Amino acid sequence: MVDEKSEIAQGLRRRDPDLLDRLIEQYQHRLLRYLMSLTRNRATAEDLFQETWIRVLERGRQYDGKHEFSAWLFSVSRHLAIDFFRRKQPASLDGLLEDKDKPMDPPASAEPSAFDLVAHRELGERIAAGLDHVAAEYREALVLRFQEGLSLEEIAVVTGAPLGTVKSRVYRGLSALQPWLKGIRG
Amino acid sequence: MTNTGMTNTGMTNNDHVRARRMLALADAGELPAADRAWLESHLEACDSCRAFAQDTGDVVRALRSIPVAADRTLVAATQMRVRLRARELRQRDERLWLVGASCVAVTLAAAFTNLACWRGFTWLVERTHVPAATWPVAFVALWIVPALAASVLLLAKGTHLADHNS
Repeated sequence: MVDEKSEIAQGLRRRDPDLLDRLIEQYQHRLLRYLMSLTRNRATAEDLFQETWIRVLERGRQYDGKHEFSAWLFSVSRHLAIDFFRRKQPASLDGLLEDKDKPMDPPASAEPSAFDLVAHRELGERIAAGLDHVAAEYREALVLRFQEGLSLEEIAVVTGAPLGTVKSRVYRGLSALQPWLKGIRG
Repeated sequence: MTNTGMTNTGMTNNDHVRARRMLALADAGELPAADRAWLESHLEACDSCRAFAQDTGDVVRALRSIPVAADRTLVAATQMRVRLRARELRQRDERLWLVGASCVAVTLAAAFTNLACWRGFTWLVERTHVPAATWPVAFVALWIVPALAASVLLLAKGTHLADHNS
């Protein structure tokens, strides 16, 4: 019996448009969320979303069917995002291009509110805002780990960073977000 | 994060760091039983790591709750672009296949023609008693002259066009 990864690999080798339609449907939210975490701009993320699937079509033969498709997909989109920012805004994704730890940007102000304590949506918005102030490589690691559910090893494959570096980024990223949480709690 | 909240229960700084890395890096289900038991006992005894665990859990839950959704238009537009590109690639592949097949056919035809011409020349030489050193030159010329003539014509046309454009 052919497992899902092999089936995807075979379909990509054939450039099967029906398979690609299904994959686009299946991974739409995850891919867009990941691209948003890289670019912090919805319009750019949507452009890169489309480019990613075109690239998947063109380079689909490179997917070996042994690793998770999502990890390969994120890796393709990551390269496109890096290329895009190299062309357009060389400074904005520095953190993804370099492998060094950067100081984190602490929250500018903390305005405690009793209402915030119980407003779950507010909490998400605060953490989302906090993500904007976290170095890009930490933000990427957090999104891949906690929003996309990738294992640490898969994140290492996507980002091309050593496993130890990935662990460090997740740990530091979580630590960087905690002041934003405390801001809500007062 | 640097304040690990040392207590007087015999814990070392390494214990706190170990506990916090476990909390940050592993979902509860991913930890081996021995590590999980150690972590639980550590959290029971350490207020600051318990607070860290609570904060980490809240951050992770908040991260998972951030809504980012692709809209229907984006998905449909992407699917259409992918289908169009797939068709272009298929047509390109078909053209490449045609070019490849043509190359093979031309090569085979040239090989057979060459052989036939060579035999024809040999027969002609036998009939006309042409010196043996001469006819290979004529044979090579027969193949080269048309290509040379075509090259000269193309060059002349190119030069004429360049002059005309300038």
